[in-house]
Amino acid sequence: MEQNVREEDLELSDDEELITAQKVLENLENAWLNEKFAPELLPQQTEMLELMLGQVAHMEENIKELDKNDFRSIAHRMELERIRYIIASYLRCRLEKIETFTKLILQEEESRADEEKRMSVEETKFATEYHENMENYFKTVALQYMPTLQRSDADQRIVRPNMMSHVFVKAKETVPAVVVGVEDEEVDLVAGSQHIIPYQLISDLVLKGSVQLI
Amino acid sequence: MFGDKAFELVKELQRTSETLPPFDDDGVRQVLEEIKAIFEENCQQAAAYSHSGDRTLWPLLSFRHAAIQRNKRCLLAYLYQRLQRIKAIRWEFGPIVPNDIKNSFCEPETQWFNSYSKSLATYMRSIGDGQGIDLTGDLKPPKSLFVEVRCLEDYGKFELEDGEVILLKKNSQHYLPRSQVESLIRLGILQHIS
Repeated sequence: MEQNVREEDLELSDDEELITAQKVLENLENAWLNEKFAPELLPQQTEMLELMLGQVAHMEENIKELDKNDFRSIAHRMELERIRYIIASYLRCRLEKIETFTKLILQEEESRADEEKRMSVEETKFATEYHENMENYFKTVALQYMPTLQRSDADQRIVRPNMMSHVFVKAKETVPAVVVGVEDEEVDLVAGSQHIIPYQLISDLVLKGSVQLI
Repeated sequence: MFGDKAFELVKELQRTSETLPPFDDDGVRQVLEEIKAIFEENCQQAAAYSHSGDRTLWPLLSFRHAAIQRNKRCLLAYLYQRLQRIKAIRWEFGPIVPNDIKNSFCEPETQWFNSYSKSLATYMRSIGDGQGIDLTGDLKPPKSLFVEVRCLEDYGKFELEDGEVILLKKNSQHYLPRSQVESLIRLGILQHIS
């Protein structure tokens, strides 16, 4: 896959963009994998996404100029399809989490500072609407007919992800003395090594980018 | 027994093989009535307790309270599960629901579906600085650019992105770009043959 992108760049972009486009795709792929395997919603990558979408549009333009039956055209189209799939799958994955843990995510977002927000503006809008819609529906169909005593416990209905679920990780760099297990047992994550570990224990490393979920 | 009807609702939904069974109006009403009945009974006895101070009523009170909560939980689970299925329908069929499924919706569900559909469409349009991506496409990792499809019904003319127009007639076979015919395959107009 990477091979193809490199060809793409050599052919379509000048040297400066060459590194960027490839790096962007790599970052996006990593973000996609992390998002797919982490139980919680991870910080948004809007910037990466927009760069990539720009690149995709750019590539589409260029492919149009190629002869349809040219072998390169087919390879490049295939590559575009793959990138598109990654983008769609990544956003779908986030949406799924937002829909499942709506209330919790909205609460968490509220307590975060502006630059630490995990959802993009569009996602926040969607989440708010989704939540309202859901509450409205429950109220219309059932909650309004229940005794007053029972109405106020919306908090009980908050769905939370299981942060202690196990994930596969690969260390990108050496991280010394990571606490694993309840008894303060420590393990050094050597660069390139792979582990199975409860997500909670390494969530900060995922955010920092020292480890990659696989 | 308390809670039986509510549990039945959940079980029925789980067992059914239909995409979406009709909304069980009756079942939901019965559960709501049961909740109300238990609650009223509890209120009466709570009043009696504050009158007489008879502590032997306590276990009964908490038992009834638990019954209410269980009923409520089952009922909401039933409603929520239905919404999950309705959501899946939006992803599969797009904003327009086939009539046979639509008949199974109850009125508030139709409203819910419409708002969900709208939110989702707005969100998808707004991705990437207003460029918009249809997230309901590209569901599987792409294996090949073109797919062989057979046309299951007379669809008429279909224009490809490059301007080429093809005629989709019943039982005709075509070799087309996957990304452009994916939606037609999901609608059951084309069938993917390998």
